[in-house]
Amino acid sequence: MSNYIFKRVRSAIAVLFVVSIITFLIVKLIPGDPAQFILGTDATPQALADMRAALGLDQPWYVQYFSWLKDILHFNLGRSYIFGEQVSVLIQQRLPVTMSLTLFSMTIVVIFSVILGIISAIKKNSPVDYFSRIIMQLGSALPSFWIGMLLIVYFGLRLRAFPVSGFVPASAGWSAHIHSIVLPGTVLAIAEIGLAIRTVRTSMLGALQEDFMDMARVNGLRNRVIYFKYALRSALVAPVNVWGMQFAKLIGGTAVVETVFALPGLGRLVVVAVEQRDVVLLQGIVMFVTILVILITLAVDIGIMFINPRIRLGTQGE
Amino acid sequence: MAEKKKKKRNISFTIGAILVIIVVVIFLISLVYMPHDPNLMNLTHKFLKPGEDELYRLGTDHFGRDILSRLMFGARHVLLVGVVSVAIGAVIGFILGAAAGMLKGLPSQIIMRVMDGLISFPSILLAMMMITIIGRGTKGSIVAVALFMVPSFARLVYSLVLDNKELLFVKAAKSYGMTNRQILFKHLIPIILPRLITQFTASIGAAIIIETSLSFLGLGVQAPNASWGLMLADAKKNFLVYPYLAYAPGIAIAITVLGFNLLGDGLNEVLLNKKREKISFIKKRRTSK
Repeated sequence: MSNYIFKRVRSAIAVLFVVSIITFLIVKLIPGDPAQFILGTDATPQALADMRAALGLDQPWYVQYFSWLKDILHFNLGRSYIFGEQVSVLIQQRLPVTMSLTLFSMTIVVIFSVILGIISAIKKNSPVDYFSRIIMQLGSALPSFWIGMLLIVYFGLRLRAFPVSGFVPASAGWSAHIHSIVLPGTVLAIAEIGLAIRTVRTSMLGALQEDFMDMARVNGLRNRVIYFKYALRSALVAPVNVWGMQFAKLIGGTAVVETVFALPGLGRLVVVAVEQRDVVLLQGIVMFVTILVILITLAVDIGIMFINPRIRLGTQGE
Repeated sequence: MAEKKKKKRNISFTIGAILVIIVVVIFLISLVYMPHDPNLMNLTHKFLKPGEDELYRLGTDHFGRDILSRLMFGARHVLLVGVVSVAIGAVIGFILGAAAGMLKGLPSQIIMRVMDGLISFPSILLAMMMITIIGRGTKGSIVAVALFMVPSFARLVYSLVLDNKELLFVKAAKSYGMTNRQILFKHLIPIILPRLITQFTASIGAAIIIETSLSFLGLGVQAPNASWGLMLADAKKNFLVYPYLAYAPGIAIAITVLGFNLLGDGLNEVLLNKKREKISFIKKRRTSK
């Protein structure tokens, strides 16, 4: 068991290392001189050279890489050109928006996929089954910004049920907070929910056919116990994996929805960084989000070990 | 049951093919005929609703430009970026995946580790970094989407090569002294190709979603050129008053992506079933001898 954890952690560190090199090299390729960017076009050559030396840009690339890596490990992501603020501070300000958005939409995804997935596994080819198939196709075909605009028109303008833009922090009251993220959260959930329902359905179907299910029936256990205690637990492995992937994907994929609903989250910050070519800000956010994504995936993998006795006992996952 | 299943896969293939053909036909028509110049502004005709004017069937936008013409023109851009970027990504991914599968040891390890790294980036972030290097516009979006496609193709080809390298006739070819490259092109590509084709078709839908998202964020194709994502970004400024602006481009994107996705699903069933029959035929022959 500890062997499995050790292997997973080692491969996560390897991926983090590769990701940091890729990010560093891509950002190095971005045209433009950071010193010029900071000092403006009328800076003297001497001032530019001093600035480059101060930023460490006169060093070979691998020296720059390792000093950058060291800074990241201390959560020092540098200072943004356009905001003139530490990138880590900017991230701290925006992260709650993106986090509550993704947590809200994952809550929708998990609740609906468990309920609809189990129903469609127990009753194959029922309306719920068709609904999940249709929503999976539509969810991956309809662009989220378009769904967002439609929801704004119908629920925001016609029905006036939800605010059309802006974010209310949780500190200003939970109901107003939830109210402000219902529409964007739903948009994010629509894109993910089809896959989640299908995964729950498939693994529930698989679990219902396992030998231990027959055993449970032979022992005369009630249907409810069979479904929820035995089948569900064994069937949860694949869905938890998929939910973890979706959660990780959502954290990095909120730029579009935050733009539609004018939410001040991480996604908006990335768009600003790209528009203004703020290299330090871009590099910082990308590293932060990617590290977060890799850590979530790792946590999910280790968490699954505790639900799945087969991995825990070391017969799988080698 | 088997009968029913066969019918179902034909439905997804048929619907997908019809939708894709519709989009391709619209694209072809746009090369020879469009009702108006898609970039022609006419402020006396702005915000015409669909059906309000005979000359502007789908209405006009905030500059009085004809939405139907812009939609037709936008099909070019969507198909260009979708097909070209996936093609580039597929070729690079194929080369890397095949190299990693055929070579052993360190080179293969390095290639696949880099692919693991690339796949860990949330899609739109990697695309946005590429746009920052190359600059906004069509070229930027093509490279961004292509890079996003590389790791999934590389992983697919890598696993297929590993799976099929152990087949008897491949081993036989090796014992005759065929080089890795000859084996790859003569024996492995025919087996891998069906999977590549389905992955290619299914990826076009995802590519179009990324491209339209980039355009919507103002990081893709630049104004005044018409692209569906950009039309929705324009619509966003006025859709609270004129919601109709958002309908046509969104439906166009949905139809195109749905078409490619369904076509990919359908092809998957058709081609993979065929391949399964072939492999089981080979296996049967092997066991009977």
